[in-house]
Amino acid sequence: MSYFTIDNLVVTFGGLRAVANVSLALGKGEIHGLIGPNGAGKTTLINAVSGLIPHQDGRIVIDGQPVHQMLAHKRAEAGIGRTFQHAETFADQTVITNLVAGGFAHRTSTVLQDVLGTPGKFAAERKAFAEADKMLDIFNLRALRDVPTGDLPFGTLKKIDLARALLAQPRILMLDEPTSGMNSSEAQEVITACKRIAGELGVTLLIIEHNMRVIMGLAQMIHVLDHGEKIAQGTPQEVQRDPLVIEAYLGHGSATHA
Amino acid sequence: MSEQASWKFTPTHFALGVLLILAIAAPLAFGSYHHYLASLCLINIIIAIGLNLLTGNAGQISICHSSFMAIGAYGTTYLVSKVGLSFWVALPMGGIIAAMFGLALGFPALRLRGFYLAVVTLGFLEMSQLLITELPSITGGVRGMPASRPALFGYTLASDLSFYYVILAITLLAIWCAYSIINSPTGRAFDAIRNSESVAQTLAMPLSRVKLIAFMLAAFFAGIGGGLFASLVGFIDPLEFGLWTSVRYIIIIVVGGLGSIVGSVVGAVALTVLPELLRDFKEYNELVFGVLLLAFLILIPHGLVSVVPRIRQRLSGKTNSQPAISKHGAGV
Ligand SMILES: Nc1ncnc2c1ncn2[C@@H]1O[C@H](COP(=O)(O)OP(=O)(O)O)[C@@H](O)[C@H]1O
Ligand SMILES: [Mg+2]
Repeated sequence: MSYFTIDNLVVTFGGLRAVANVSLALGKGEIHGLIGPNGAGKTTLINAVSGLIPHQDGRIVIDGQPVHQMLAHKRAEAGIGRTFQHAETFADQTVITNLVAGGFAHRTSTVLQDVLGTPGKFAAERKAFAEADKMLDIFNLRALRDVPTGDLPFGTLKKIDLARALLAQPRILMLDEPTSGMNSSEAQEVITACKRIAGELGVTLLIIEHNMRVIMGLAQMIHVLDHGEKIAQGTPQEVQRDPLVIEAYLGHGSATHA
Repeated sequence: MSEQASWKFTPTHFALGVLLILAIAAPLAFGSYHHYLASLCLINIIIAIGLNLLTGNAGQISICHSSFMAIGAYGTTYLVSKVGLSFWVALPMGGIIAAMFGLALGFPALRLRGFYLAVVTLGFLEMSQLLITELPSITGGVRGMPASRPALFGYTLASDLSFYYVILAITLLAIWCAYSIINSPTGRAFDAIRNSESVAQTLAMPLSRVKLIAFMLAAFFAGIGGGLFASLVGFIDPLEFGLWTSVRYIIIIVVGGLGSIVGSVVGAVALTVLPELLRDFKEYNELVFGVLLLAFLILIPHGLVSVVPRIRQRLSGKTNSQPAISKHGAGV
């Protein structure tokens, strides 16, 4: 059995089957792509896997541990991380504060220590900030360290969202259109980061990506959704030649749209 | 920002030091009435800090903060006068009892937000007021209940000055705790759930637990403030803990600055001293508060704390459009 599996996942909104019996299997440290036309159910799948919306059926297992009945924060503790299509940074907080929040799962102080302000808590606090500071450098965010994120451009917010998710040290990380709103050099930064995250840290990545060129160069396996159903799976080359995939895209418009 | 590798002496530290020396030395030059007023300021600071953690940081609206104040006031006084406990044991116990009620309120509040949460906390307020009048054996009913000043090292803190110093010490402790909370994983979870409950959960923050902690902490601070308040005044008047009192603390934190300890302090002092200055217009007290609140919301929407950095920015001639600090998460 694969490291991370989604088995027959079903998510419905009223009568709409937004995710219809979708199954995925990812090996440890692999990078998979999740593509499909707008409204195919990609974001909904990530929402259901991370526990933010309920699913009607299916199993989600990470390294042998079923997580589909857990609350969202328990799934995060179990190692499921994600980013957001609309970045969702904490707008009234600085970049560094946003990042430190990502390390919450690895806090070492208890609530009582937090309230009393023990030396141990302050030591833990320094460590948490040091971790976040390292991440600032990796994503070239040092100059914006103490700026509230509310005023930053979307591409920067996407980087902050990713950096924050990484600080939780997830085992499987789902990225919702990680390069949207970025110029090509920023996008390249993120692509390089993704390769390092998977290669060096062994994090398993599931990437929703609108830019075909980005995902073709990044993923070893691509899953295609259309109308909530999985219509194809294969290497980037296989998927690009798949008539079903071509039709799904042509039927909806541009073929370069993921 | 909050945590730097090496500690530096900044203008902020200097200002805090001056303030502390003033808080210790200045009362010596004034009389008993001013000591009483200053003590009231400090108590309001403690109570406002609690509400600010809940509302300003965790984003949970509460209009029953005065209920927790009442629980602390009655609890502490009852434990002292009827059970015979020392005030120094009874006061934290009063805070803990208030926190237990905060926990109890937190559970129904878990599934509610905004307007609906406000309504539930209003219901809790009504209930607490009903209980005060219906349990005269504990609360003295509508007639109220006498409270006494504590003793310390064998001396009764009968003078307002001596009690002021004790309250000052407790206030400093409360500020320290709030500072530590805000700069901790717990405080970051508060700020996170205020911004986005979804994002907070995906960062492993347990939503229910975090909210319950916020309710308990807010109630604890209010309970401690209430216990001190009863002892300072020497009498518990059940009318003190109505809707207006809750609203006054909301005004304090909004005027001072949401999510900011300095905001709680500034707001509490301003809105404690101001009514005293306006004593001749006592019947217009609530009107003055209302007008002030509106004026502040329009002129300084981020509270008094947001003024200093803006002035500093203007003086240093920076044309940066970035606010110097965010409304929230300013650390102190
Ligand atoms: N919360 C929701 N309530 C009702 N329908 C939704 C909700 N979220 C998504 N949908 C619908 O589910 C379908 C899939 O949406 P989504 O997962 O956002 O697509 P994608 O991310 O692939 O573009 C769309 O038809 C969308 O309108
Ligand atoms: Mg989407």
